[in-house]
Amino acid sequence: MKSFRKLGKNLGVLAVASLVFAGLLALVPLSTSRAGQKGNEAKGKFYFKQTCKSCHIKGEKGGEVTPLNKTQAQWQSYFAKGKHMKGTEPLTKYMTPEQLNDALTFLYNHAVDSPQPETCGK
Amino acid sequence: MNRRGFLKMATGGAVGAALLQTEACRVPLQQQKAAKDVVPRLEIPTTCDMCVNKCSMIAIVEKGVLKKLNPNPENPKSKGMLCARGNAGIQQLYDTARIKHPMIRTGERGEGKWKVVGWDEALDFAAQKLSAIKEKYGPQGTLWSSSASFQEVFFRNLSQAFGSPNSVRHPTLCLASVNLAYSVTFGTVPSFDVQNARYIIMSGANRLESFITPDTMDLIDSTTERKARLIYLDPRFTKTAAKADEWYPIKPGTDLAFILAMLNVIISENRYNKEFVSTYCSGFEQLAEHVKQYTPDWAAEETQIPAKDIFRIAREFSDAAPRAIYYAGRRSSWSRDDFSMRRGQAILNAIVGNWDRQGGMVPNAKVELGELMFLPWDDPVAPRVDELDKNFPLAAKGDGVYLKLRENVLAGQPYPVKAWMIYKQDPMSAIPEQEKTLQMLRQMDFVGVIDIQMSDTAWYADVILPESTYLERLDPVEMLGGIRPVVLYRQPVVKPLHDTKPAFEIVQGLAKRLNLSQYFDYTMEQWIAEQVKPLPMDLPLDYMKKHGVYSPPQYPKYGSTLSPDHRFVTKSGKIELLSERLREAGYDPLPVYHQPSQVPEGKFRLVLGRHAFFTHASTSNNPWLNSFSPENALWIHPKPADSLGITDASLVEVASGVGSVRLKARVTPKIRTDCVFMQHGYGKRSPWLRLANSGGSDAQLIETAWDTVSGGAALHETFVKVRKV
Repeated sequence: MKSFRKLGKNLGVLAVASLVFAGLLALVPLSTSRAGQKGNEAKGKFYFKQTCKSCHIKGEKGGEVTPLNKTQAQWQSYFAKGKHMKGTEPLTKYMTPEQLNDALTFLYNHAVDSPQPETCGK
Repeated sequence: MNRRGFLKMATGGAVGAALLQTEACRVPLQQQKAAKDVVPRLEIPTTCDMCVNKCSMIAIVEKGVLKKLNPNPENPKSKGMLCARGNAGIQQLYDTARIKHPMIRTGERGEGKWKVVGWDEALDFAAQKLSAIKEKYGPQGTLWSSSASFQEVFFRNLSQAFGSPNSVRHPTLCLASVNLAYSVTFGTVPSFDVQNARYIIMSGANRLESFITPDTMDLIDSTTERKARLIYLDPRFTKTAAKADEWYPIKPGTDLAFILAMLNVIISENRYNKEFVSTYCSGFEQLAEHVKQYTPDWAAEETQIPAKDIFRIAREFSDAAPRAIYYAGRRSSWSRDDFSMRRGQAILNAIVGNWDRQGGMVPNAKVELGELMFLPWDDPVAPRVDELDKNFPLAAKGDGVYLKLRENVLAGQPYPVKAWMIYKQDPMSAIPEQEKTLQMLRQMDFVGVIDIQMSDTAWYADVILPESTYLERLDPVEMLGGIRPVVLYRQPVVKPLHDTKPAFEIVQGLAKRLNLSQYFDYTMEQWIAEQVKPLPMDLPLDYMKKHGVYSPPQYPKYGSTLSPDHRFVTKSGKIELLSERLREAGYDPLPVYHQPSQVPEGKFRLVLGRHAFFTHASTSNNPWLNSFSPENALWIHPKPADSLGITDASLVEVASGVGSVRLKARVTPKIRTDCVFMQHGYGKRSPWLRLANSGGSDAQLIETAWDTVSGGAALHETFVKVRKV
């Protein structure tokens, strides 16, 4: 919880972060063929939920976004192009390149065409 | 208590619950302090943990003593039912053989010498051992095993925070081949709408004998009340066979031949659902070409099921579609080709168009839960010891592959693993070839076990950290997806009877000593509060405390994925009859039949099963349950029995390539002449267990073999010799 609170302070205005999410991505070129497999998925889920999901949920202005919205290739392309809100605001205000890489890893690994066999008891 | 009395009590539970269903007297434990003097009888809604089904129930508590467990009719999944096993949960709480205190081993491993210690000493001991091994071998030198539990998440989080890549769960001893086959084909594992099906085929899924749940009752309902037809394939005449319309004692390991021949008939006679296949499936042309070779005449030779019956069953199945299902079953792998057999089932279901239809297969609906978020740990540096990516590239990453893992640990490859933490699991009983598991335990520098009873594995541990039972603890909320999804709440109905702790507190205690507290710096109440936030009521936590279960009223819903623009979670976005992902990984993209190994002269194929009294090892020590079946027996057909001089109840020795056991014979014509059968869960080593040295342990006999794609333990690949003692 302490780390969570600390991070929350660091993240600042989470509500607007998702609006500029891909803007940063446009400014932070990622090695897309590898980036989706090399980040920290668990941390990526955390950054995605804390940042993107503040707006991108059902009923909110951003519309619902989940990893299943895109294929793996589409997530890679999306991150590389950074067309979110036309890339008008850099996300470096809110996320480091490493955090973005983690977020991409999470989205890539859970994309709509990703191999994700279900399991027992979970 | 005799059998009749017990079943009467279990059946009466539903009536009792209805009579006692007055919400005013349902009081959560948190309020009991104030209320106990005023309300001597409490009804506390909570969730069963006697098997995987997690039925809702109501605990009747008088003056702090649990008197009765009744079904909770508010749960549409458990449907006002609490089975005999669920009723016997009361004995898990009051069992005198429970582990009552933390203990540290003082003698040799397996010698049974322990000293009772306080929690600080036990946790200090465990943390020091783990730290020392981390220092010497790295975090990858530790292995963390667990089974499904509402609190399993904390144990797994500790293993990851510790930095170990080596957590291994139970699925490769369970449904790994089914899960992977359906995930590859549909992108998900659906539920089977047994209640509304009109034609059901089961390959060895012994639902009327091995596992009595509300699904079982649905099956009884559909086959008796609604006159659904049940076709049952099993080398043994089980209770399910007795209730089936047709039983075929299929030659073990040939189920895929039967399925492929059904596909052959349905496709060659244009009986498949053309519109569904063209809209939602990919790879049909290749499938049609592929199954041309698998004719019913060929399959009859393989399976010993007459070709005319295969023709007829295929036609009846397609005629009954979409209310026709080839039921996936609930058990581990049988053969090295088990995944292919499950894929065949999935494909057969797909081409008759039973997907997302009433009486067919239904993708699981879900209820969104919240999540307490915190910044997680760094990824482990080392690869997994079971080399999952290399050996089983499509297997579920977080589950691991148990048998391959054991092989590598014993070989010290690719690196040494010297500590084993185990939660709610008994590898000594659950994993084939027990002697190897024992070797693995013995080569560990440290073994720590979290359990409620002295399992065979706990018997060889260095420290035992006793967990509170499911009736004594507050658990995270759990969502169970399904045709009718539910959210479940488990709250304590009595205070812990002994010096035990919930797994969450044990994990917190270890985390504190391992300098990992930052990942566990919250309370269970905070965790739950975040989980229930999205539920659609004003005071969701109060609702869950009061009702114990929430189920959205809009279910069941059929057809939500039946739109041409729906994208399945597969590589192509379609239902993949031919799997590109399998091809990429080097496997057959369509199910290919391989003839099973033939039974050697003078031997039998060992087939295994469960019965409804036990849920594997976790409930076999329950005195109410094991009194019905205190020992197992070896089923053997009269013909081979006669030639071996074996009579009913005579003591026999059963020997495989890896071990031998002794148990009584049951001479019966209800099994093929080339097979013998025994029930799982007997012949325990731990003297603290009631089934110690009672009957024979299948784990001592089964040889190491696994399904090549999922890694699931292949349980029917062992041949045994039998002799009268």
